[in-house]
Amino acid sequence: MRYRTQAVAYPYFVVALLLYGLQMVFGILSIAKYLGPDPIKGFLPFDVSKEIHTNVLIVWVLTGFMGATYWLVPEESRTEIHSPRLAYWQLGLWTLGGVTAVVGYLLGWTEGNKLLEQPLPVKLTIVVVMLMFLYNIGMTIWKVKRLTTTEGVLVAGLALTAVLYLPALVSYHNYTVSIYYRWWTVHLWVEGVWEMVQGGLLAYLLIRLSGADREVMEKWLYVIVGLTFIAGILGTAHHYYWIGVPHYWLPLGGFFSALEPLAFLAMAVYAYMAMRRSGLAHPNRLAIHWTLGSAIFSALGAGVLGLAHTWPSVNRWTHGTMITAMHGHMAFFGAYVMIVLAMITYAAPGLFGHDQDAGESPTGIWAFWLQIGGMFGMTMAFAAAGISQTYLERILGLGYLDTQRKIQVHFLMVLGTGLLFVLGVGLYLYDFFFLAPKRRAAPAAWPAAAAEAQG
Amino acid sequence: MTKRQTRAFFLGSTAVFTLIFLGLTIDSHRQFPALTHSDQITPEVLAGKHVWHRKNCINCHTLLGEGAYYAPDLTKIAEQRGAPYLRAFLADPAKFYSEERDRRLMPNLKLSPQEIDQLVAFLTWVGGIDTHGWPPRPILVSGAAIPGSDVGAPAPEPASDDPVAIGQALFRRSPPGCFACHSTAPGVNLVGPSLAGIPATAEARIKAPEYHGKATDAAGYIRESIVDPNAHVLAGPTYSSNGQSMMPSGFGESLQPAQIDALVAYLMTLK
Repeated sequence: MRYRTQAVAYPYFVVALLLYGLQMVFGILSIAKYLGPDPIKGFLPFDVSKEIHTNVLIVWVLTGFMGATYWLVPEESRTEIHSPRLAYWQLGLWTLGGVTAVVGYLLGWTEGNKLLEQPLPVKLTIVVVMLMFLYNIGMTIWKVKRLTTTEGVLVAGLALTAVLYLPALVSYHNYTVSIYYRWWTVHLWVEGVWEMVQGGLLAYLLIRLSGADREVMEKWLYVIVGLTFIAGILGTAHHYYWIGVPHYWLPLGGFFSALEPLAFLAMAVYAYMAMRRSGLAHPNRLAIHWTLGSAIFSALGAGVLGLAHTWPSVNRWTHGTMITAMHGHMAFFGAYVMIVLAMITYAAPGLFGHDQDAGESPTGIWAFWLQIGGMFGMTMAFAAAGISQTYLERILGLGYLDTQRKIQVHFLMVLGTGLLFVLGVGLYLYDFFFLAPKRRAAPAAWPAAAAEAQG
Repeated sequence: MTKRQTRAFFLGSTAVFTLIFLGLTIDSHRQFPALTHSDQITPEVLAGKHVWHRKNCINCHTLLGEGAYYAPDLTKIAEQRGAPYLRAFLADPAKFYSEERDRRLMPNLKLSPQEIDQLVAFLTWVGGIDTHGWPPRPILVSGAAIPGSDVGAPAPEPASDDPVAIGQALFRRSPPGCFACHSTAPGVNLVGPSLAGIPATAEARIKAPEYHGKATDAAGYIRESIVDPNAHVLAGPTYSSNGQSMMPSGFGESLQPAQIDALVAYLMTLK
C-alpha cells in the first residue's frame, strides 16, 4: 500500500464480499424453487428471492467498483484521498440503503420494475451516495491535477453510471416507454459504461501485474471503450425488438449488437498480449488468475453467448426463455464479478499490511477454480434448459408449465453446479476474512519490504 | 496509431453514435402513440399497471417477454383466456393449478375485485401493443397447442378453399386462438372442454331438458356457442363461474360470418 488512505478500500471490500455471500443464499433458494413444491412460498415467494438475488448483485458489484476506485485513484494520481471520513460516511449510507431495500423486499416494499425495484427513497439515497463518491474522487484528482487515462476511463464510467441512473427515477404512463428508458439504465450500464469501468480496472491490473508499458496499454484502452460504444449504444435495440417500437430497431439492433463481442474479444486479446509481452512475473499469481479469467470469461459469456441470441430472427424464438439466464449469469460473472475479485485479490496483501505476500494460497486457488467450474456448469445447464424450452414451448407449442416439468433435470444440474460455485465463493470469503490477514509477515520485516516495493 | 488518435476515435465515435441514438429516440416517441394505442391508456389501465408493479408480477412472469422466467408470459393472456377466466383465476389460482403436478403455484395475491378488473384492463391494453408479431406462436400456460399426432406441423395455412380446411387453419391460428383452450384430442380437457366428438355431444345437449338455447341441430349449437358462449353454460371450475361462461364473448363481432361458417364446418367434422 503506497498511500495511507488507500485503506478506505478495505471496508468497501468487506461489505461487497458479505453481500456476495448473501447473494448466494438467494440464488440457491431461487433455483430450489424451480424444483418445487415450495414450502416457504407463503412468506418468501420466488419473486422476492429472485429480486434480492439480482439487486444484491448490483449493489455489491458497485460497492466493489467504489472500493477499487478508492484503492486505484491515490496510486494513479499519486496523492491521498480527499476525505477518508466522507468515504466512510458514504459507505455507511450506502449500506443502510442496501439493507433497507433488502428488508423492504422481504416485506413486499417494491416498485416491481425489473432490476430497478428500489423504492423511490432508496433510489434517492443511491443518487446521494453517488454524488458523495464522485465529489470525493473528483476533489482528490482536482487537488493534484494529475489524471491518468486509466483512472480517467474508470471514473468517467462511474460518473456516467450515475447519470444513466436518472431515467430510473422517472415514472412513465406508457409501459412501452417505461421499458424503453429502463434499458437506458440497465443496458447502458452493463453493456456500456460498466465496460469502461472493467476496461479501466483491467488496464490498471495489467500494468501492475505484467509491467506492461503504460502508453501502449492506455492507447489500446481507448480503442476498447470506443468499440464498446460503437456497438453498445445502438446495441440497446436488442432489448427493443418486441416491446412496441418502430421496426427499424430490429435490423439496427441485430447489426450493432452483433458487433458487441468485439470489445470483449479485444479485452481478451489485450490481456493476452500484455502477458505475452511482459510476462507473468508478479508474485500475486491469484490476482493474475482473476484478471486473465475476467478478460476470457467476459469474452465468452458477454461476447459469444450474447451473440448466440441477439439476432432478431433467433431472438424471436428465444426471447424470455432460460437462454437469457444462460447469457446473463456468465456475462455478469465474467465481466464484473471477476474484475472486482481481481482487484480485491490484488489489493488484499497491501490492505493486510504485507505488500510482499504472494496472495496465493491453495484455498484461494480452489476458490477460483470452483467458481469458474461452477459457473461454467451452471451456464451449460441453463443453456440446455433454454434450448429445450425454446423448442418445446415456443416452437412445438407445448404449454409453459408442461415444458417446465419436462426440463426439471436441467434445473437439478443448475442446483448441483450452483452448489459447487457457492462452495468456491465460501472459500474465497474464508480466505479473505480468516487466512489472508494471518499471512501477514513478521512486523519487523514488512516496512522494509514495503519501502522496497515502492522503490 | 498514437494515443491522441485512439482518444479521438473513442470520443468521436461515441459522440456520433450517441447522436444517432438520441435522434432515433425522438423519432420513436413520434411513433409510440400509434404503436402502443396510447389513446387506450385509460385511468383503469394505469391503475392496473400500478397493481402490476406493486405486486411485483414481473419477478415471476414475463410481459412482452421481459421479466423472470418462473411463470408464463402474459403478453397475450387477456386475448387467450378472456376476462371471466382471469377474474376467477386471480381470485384463487389454487383452484386452477396443482402445485403437486406443476411443482410451483402462483400465490394468492388477495387482490380486490376492482384491482383484478384494473389488472385485466392493463393486460388487455398490453395485448394490443404492436410487437412485430411476437410471440411468433402463442405461448400457452398449459396443455399443448397441437395435442395428438400433428406435433411439429408447419404454421397453419388453409390447405384449400374448402370451408373445413379454412376452419381447421383458423382454429389453430391466433386470434381467435380456439386451440389455446380446446383440444381436439379425445379426453384432453384443457381450460375448455375437448372438442373431440363435438357434433354428437351437441346433439345430446340440445335434447337435454336443461338446455334453454335456440339451437335445433348440432351445427346450430356450435355456432351459438361461438357467438354467444353464455347461451348454454357447462359446469366446471375452469368452464364457468356464477353461471357465466369463461369463454371470451365477442367472437360474433371479431370473426367474419364466413369464418364462423368455416369453424362450424370444421368442428362438425370432429366425429
